[in-house]
Amino acid sequence: MKVRFWGVRGSIPVPGPSTNRYGGNTSCVEVRPRGAWPIIIDAGTGIRRLGKALMDERFGDGSGTAHILISHTHWDHIQGMPFFSPLYRAGNKLHVFARQRGDTHLQAVFASQTEDPYFPVPLSALEASIEFHELVEGNRFAIDKTLVTCTRLNHPWIAMAYRLDCDGAAVVYCSDTAPFSDILLEHEFISKPPTGEPLPKAIADKLAAMRASLVALCKGADLLIYDTQFTIDEYKLRPHWGHSTPEDAIAIAREAGVKTLCLYHHAPMRSDEAQDAILMAARWSAKSHGDGFNVIAAHEGLELVLGDDDGLAPVVAP
Amino acid sequence: MKIRFWGVRGSIPAPGPDTNRYGGNTSCVSVTTATGHLIILDMGTGLMHLGNHLLASEFGKGRGAATILLSHAHWDHIQGLGFFAPVFIPGNKFELRGHGRSSSMLEGILEGQMNPNFSPLYTLKNLGAAFDVHAIVPGEPFTAGGVRVTAQPNPHGTTTALAFRLDEGAASFVYASDVGYGPDGPTPAVRALYRGADALLHDTTYTPADQARRQSRGFSSYEQAADAAIAAGARRLIAFHYDQDYTDADVDALTAACRAYLDAHGGRAIELIPAAEGLELAL
Ligand SMILES: [Zn+2]
Ligand SMILES: [Zn+2]
Ligand SMILES: [Zn+2]
Repeated sequence: MKVRFWGVRGSIPVPGPSTNRYGGNTSCVEVRPRGAWPIIIDAGTGIRRLGKALMDERFGDGSGTAHILISHTHWDHIQGMPFFSPLYRAGNKLHVFARQRGDTHLQAVFASQTEDPYFPVPLSALEASIEFHELVEGNRFAIDKTLVTCTRLNHPWIAMAYRLDCDGAAVVYCSDTAPFSDILLEHEFISKPPTGEPLPKAIADKLAAMRASLVALCKGADLLIYDTQFTIDEYKLRPHWGHSTPEDAIAIAREAGVKTLCLYHHAPMRSDEAQDAILMAARWSAKSHGDGFNVIAAHEGLELVLGDDDGLAPVVAP
Repeated sequence: MKIRFWGVRGSIPAPGPDTNRYGGNTSCVSVTTATGHLIILDMGTGLMHLGNHLLASEFGKGRGAATILLSHAHWDHIQGLGFFAPVFIPGNKFELRGHGRSSSMLEGILEGQMNPNFSPLYTLKNLGAAFDVHAIVPGEPFTAGGVRVTAQPNPHGTTTALAFRLDEGAASFVYASDVGYGPDGPTPAVRALYRGADALLHDTTYTPADQARRQSRGFSSYEQAADAAIAAGARRLIAFHYDQDYTDADVDALTAACRAYLDAHGGRAIELIPAAEGLELAL
């Protein structure tokens, strides 16, 4: 399979010279199993250019199929959706997956994204057919020959991590999440960092179980893409915002025995130079612990070939 | 009035090396009045950068006050609000005026983008600063920091967008982003709003060919912007809200073609200013 990064930024797109190398578009990763349709993870602004590229394939004549796995519906993970060109071509088929919610259907959330007065084209007017699939943590399902598994993360309104197994390789997408030590983030709005008192046992246990499920999801993965928006100092000020540091990601990568850890969901105001320094420090940290895995940082246009893949352009099966 | 551009792009932010010169942030313009009051026009992603800049001023201490004028609630005009640092500092005060049938409906629209499905902020009420939201009555002037503000609606695809005129003494600035006129051009009320402006900022999303192909989206070509400036007798025309697919070279070509069009249609005296992030202008 091939993994290509179309958007690597967290929170909000950041155009400008200081983000030229890593890129300023928000979250979007394309996974292309060999000879199969694309599986897209998240629909931040990066999905706009992916959509244009797909229009050069069979999506251009309305015979494409894409599956989109949404980690959660915060803006930076869905704001590119209305600019995804294949949606505007009749005949294309889109399947959107995200976590089930208690109050409303997933489709209603996406419908409200483009209703009047926010956007001129409502969901109901799109040419392509879109099906929404609601997930709960622990679900396992197949997309063609790819097996998808998922577990929940520690983030306001709850995000999902996904593992994709295919072509003898596995990639895990883990964004967005806080570490599992200081605070439990679910449906309640939390305005301040926790006081630092020990967590009640039930909450500490719940976080530990969540973390164990994530480590199990990541077990032996070839590539782990992880939310590392914060430095340690930034995390200390904002543990309730629901993001991790490279050190948190390294610990998970180590316990799960992954082959490559990819830093992802870079902070909006992080310049390319600052991101270089974060990557160097993370590499040094992993190395000094004797870790055997690679540490890389995602940038727009980065393409990785994993497992049993000759790296040639995929031939899409009919 | 001092004008500064923080976001000049339309529809969706367009990061990348090929938008570095004009900038890839969505609509946001600041106006500082003679009395030092801040007026912010639209809240695209450029607003985040304005906010970071303001932290060095009274806004950093929770003693700032500003007026925000909202042309319409399309995402590219409101998506910066949750990232505007001064709204998290208690004590800051914002008076937001925009299009809406009522003030509470306008507030509801802003709440919609902050709801927990979409934003970790959950509601406007979690912002530390005070927000006072008012629906604008078209044609009824009000003052902000000694500037007289008038608004009129323009057609914009399936919705309408307000155009604003700011008058301070003899100086006048018109902000008319996101407009797709009908076959008769601007309404008489909008013509009056534009008339004699020192600077007319006008939607120039498209080249004429792209505009013709995408008429239903409700944006202008540079020709329609130039026609509006010529008819109004404006001194300056500011090109704004460039299509997300246009590179810096494309915008260079668009503005060169706009210059040639002005020259050929009686607008030789009009100064053409292509909006770019960071550009400042005094009127
Ligand atoms: Zn995010
Ligand atoms: Zn716009
Ligand atoms: Zn608009």
